[in-house]
Amino acid sequence: MLMQEVQWPWPMGDHRAPSWLAHEDYSTGRYVYAPRHVLPRHCRAYQEQVKMALCTWLLFLMRIYLALAASTASGTWINVGYQKFPQLEAMRALEVYEVGASPVCTGLKGLSQGQGKLCQLSQDHMPSVARGAKAGIAECQHQFRDRRWNCSTVDDGTVFGPVLGIASRETAFVHAVAAAGVVYSVSRACRDGQLSSCGCSRSGRPRDLNREWIWGGCGDNLEYGYKFTQAFVDVRERERSFKRGSREQGRSLMNLHNNEAGRRAVIKRSKVTCKCHGVSGSCSLITCWQQLASFREIGDYLLDKYDGATEVRVNRRGRLSIRDPRYTLPTANDLVYLDDSPNYCLRNLTIGSLGTQGRVCNRTSAGMDGCNLLCCGRGYNTQKTTIRERCECKFHWCCFVECKTCVRNVDIHTCK
Amino acid sequence: MQGTIIENLSGKKLSVLVVLLIIAQIVCFLIGGLVAPRPASSQNILGTPCRDIRINGSEPGGGKWFYSRGKGSCIPVRFEEFDNHHQAFQVVYVFQMPIPRANEVLDYSRWQQNLIGVLQVDITYHSQMEIAPKTKITLDARLAYRNKGDPDDAWKPYGASVVERILECSIDTNMEQYIYNCSTVPLFELGSLYHDYYLLNIRLPADTEKNINQGLGHITDLWLTVINQNGGFTKVWVSLKTIYFPIVLCILVWHWRRVNMLSRAPALLEYMLLALGSALTFLNMPLEYMTLAFDMPFMLLLGDIRQGVFYATLLSFWLVFAGEHLMIQEGEQRNTLKCYWRHLSAVGVGCLSLFMFDMCERGVQLRNPFYSIWVTEIGTKLALSFIILAGVSAGIYLLFLTYMIWKVFMNISAKRAALPSMSSARRLHYEGVIYRFKFLMITTLLCASLTVIGFILGQVAEGQWKWDEDIELEMTSAFFTGVYGMWNIYILALLCLYAPSHKQWPIEPSENSVSDEIEFARLPTDPNEMLSLTAFARKSAME
Repeated sequence: MLMQEVQWPWPMGDHRAPSWLAHEDYSTGRYVYAPRHVLPRHCRAYQEQVKMALCTWLLFLMRIYLALAASTASGTWINVGYQKFPQLEAMRALEVYEVGASPVCTGLKGLSQGQGKLCQLSQDHMPSVARGAKAGIAECQHQFRDRRWNCSTVDDGTVFGPVLGIASRETAFVHAVAAAGVVYSVSRACRDGQLSSCGCSRSGRPRDLNREWIWGGCGDNLEYGYKFTQAFVDVRERERSFKRGSREQGRSLMNLHNNEAGRRAVIKRSKVTCKCHGVSGSCSLITCWQQLASFREIGDYLLDKYDGATEVRVNRRGRLSIRDPRYTLPTANDLVYLDDSPNYCLRNLTIGSLGTQGRVCNRTSAGMDGCNLLCCGRGYNTQKTTIRERCECKFHWCCFVECKTCVRNVDIHTCK
Repeated sequence: MQGTIIENLSGKKLSVLVVLLIIAQIVCFLIGGLVAPRPASSQNILGTPCRDIRINGSEPGGGKWFYSRGKGSCIPVRFEEFDNHHQAFQVVYVFQMPIPRANEVLDYSRWQQNLIGVLQVDITYHSQMEIAPKTKITLDARLAYRNKGDPDDAWKPYGASVVERILECSIDTNMEQYIYNCSTVPLFELGSLYHDYYLLNIRLPADTEKNINQGLGHITDLWLTVINQNGGFTKVWVSLKTIYFPIVLCILVWHWRRVNMLSRAPALLEYMLLALGSALTFLNMPLEYMTLAFDMPFMLLLGDIRQGVFYATLLSFWLVFAGEHLMIQEGEQRNTLKCYWRHLSAVGVGCLSLFMFDMCERGVQLRNPFYSIWVTEIGTKLALSFIILAGVSAGIYLLFLTYMIWKVFMNISAKRAALPSMSSARRLHYEGVIYRFKFLMITTLLCASLTVIGFILGQVAEGQWKWDEDIELEMTSAFFTGVYGMWNIYILALLCLYAPSHKQWPIEPSENSVSDEIEFARLPTDPNEMLSLTAFARKSAME
């Protein structure tokens, strides 16, 4: 049978891709940055930027392997953005970050063992992580507002309930959007100046940071956000060892791939802006920087990827390969999934489906929000109502929006 | 008779010299590529909106500064929490630079030379409130500074201005919550980075009656990108200058002493070489050392002027160089700059208009760092006309130069046709002269085209925005040091090779040496120290 493997390192596809993007070898589970021969240097760089050596990490992971202390943490780290954790809220106001053991991380439900360690090492990042996860959840709910599964959440620490237990497209999207949220929010916090521990240069933390910064400036914060997120989100999948080619390993590979796709979405959607400042302001000297897009744009991009996600499976060699060789290989920007989505039409709490009964649908739409598709052919009820809404708004800088109130009579359709 | 050194230098010595210069050139390039960091780096700062407690909209006092870090920092406002009763003047966007990294408070160093601030406005699209493609935005911008050791709140005012800028915004996909694609707004330029910390407070005053900031749409964020020269680049740059400055100065003095030792008055070409050498020395002067001790905000302007003077002299030199080798002069008529007034006026007008433009932009910025000529309609037209004038002058200059070079080559080939009829010694001699003249022309062309190609390559490489983390060669810096070194070496070579030589013409031993000597005796030898190329030209014209 013709079988194509998902290739690593990923074909970059465009020359704009920053070289610090990870190239990973899933079969060995090792991080390899491009180019491969400079691993030690990057190791050091990595260490400084997230205050933890990759090298140390590998040792740490090996220790975990040896101890076979497989994480038993239930739920997901996304929980930090869902549940309200007073310690995170308080940190935002106080801005006092004490490195060392502190109660900030202990109460955070959903973090795996490695994530807990990372949390303690970089406590000041946690509000940003929480904000990012929160943005991810909100974006998921916005993107899926018209779909059968509407990104509904539950209050038990798993955030999305049993849905995440299935290796479906939806899980892929959730992982990607949450990772994207963290990249976005950490990068933003760095640029804000409030997250003061963002790394500086690619060569890691030099002995004399101030001198290094005067010599050659600092790297981009987007890179920092990417690398931090990579460490924080991916560590979950790396602290457990699986039998090669097993289902669990496939699931882990899928999560890693989708996390990466989410992180890259932020970079992919960011815009490059340049300024000429040479002699007399000419372009003999030009400086460029990355400008973040709105998170909505990133969400839309990921939804596109969700619709075009590729079904993969794990082969005996412990690599992902595509199910149907007729499809093109997914790149690092694409989402992959292992299993088909369950039927979200009917209420089935064991798979986390709330069913579409009672959902508002659009009678005239042919898309997913159309009554036909959303109600799964069960039909709909129609109710006449009058709604008042704001219209013809004018925004007055800074702080208020002047709107008229419009009254409309509408029919509201709800699924049976 | 005597000639210049280039004519009397043997091919072997010349090639050794050329190889040495090429090695020096490569070293310059590599220093830029391997030692120096990028010429400039940027920090992208997200504005922190702070709340001004004033109730009425009176002018804020000069002493009231809002800052986001340190003791007494303002409490950031979250716009969701803002109720409708606040006024526009009560929202202050705070940018405190530089941003800290790795838990360390960074400060600017004087090595970093200058600071350019660019503002970006994130406006969220709402179908209910679309904005015009061109919107005027009024900013009340205040800049303050603080030094290391000062208390956290001891901000001292640096400059303040209410400035207007044009925001050009477009959106590709009209989707809710997307951000408009707005052009960047150049905000300020500081010619010296004398202090350690800077603080920018921006208000967006709103006035319904005067229609100030009314059509802005939903501003979500203000981003400030500050670009500063890299200290490492400055260090490498200044070191290059420190090395070249005494070398060029010595060679220049040596050259001029040699010229003065001649019994005749210096020729026009020698005056031009002196001017060129002086302009280069002016450019090479490592004045940057002074910025480490003194506040010199005029350095950006001075740098532009120094480069302008140098390039103007270089361009004039080429014209005169080509003109002096036209080989059409007759008799003892001595060329002066006056003969070239038409050609040189192109250079003059071009450089003058660029100078005017620079004075209007960077000159005024000395007084008001927020000033920009491009914001007003008249200013834009003025700036554009200056630039267009400079462009036209450049075009005319290029036409003149190509025409003259073409003429020189035509003359040379015409003379060359007459070469076979000459005796062997003379032929060898003329061939040598022509060869060396062409050699220099080719070097010039090579230098000029390398500069242009390097510039274009640099632009393309930057335009594609590579994150060249793993490429150790910094192309932009290499380009700058390479070009800088190249013109230094080029002019050093000119000064050396075009200095008058002590040597006599080499006379080839030949059987009919008697006739050769007779023929040489026929050469116009007085004043016997005239530039041999001119002599050659004149003589061939006689033939």
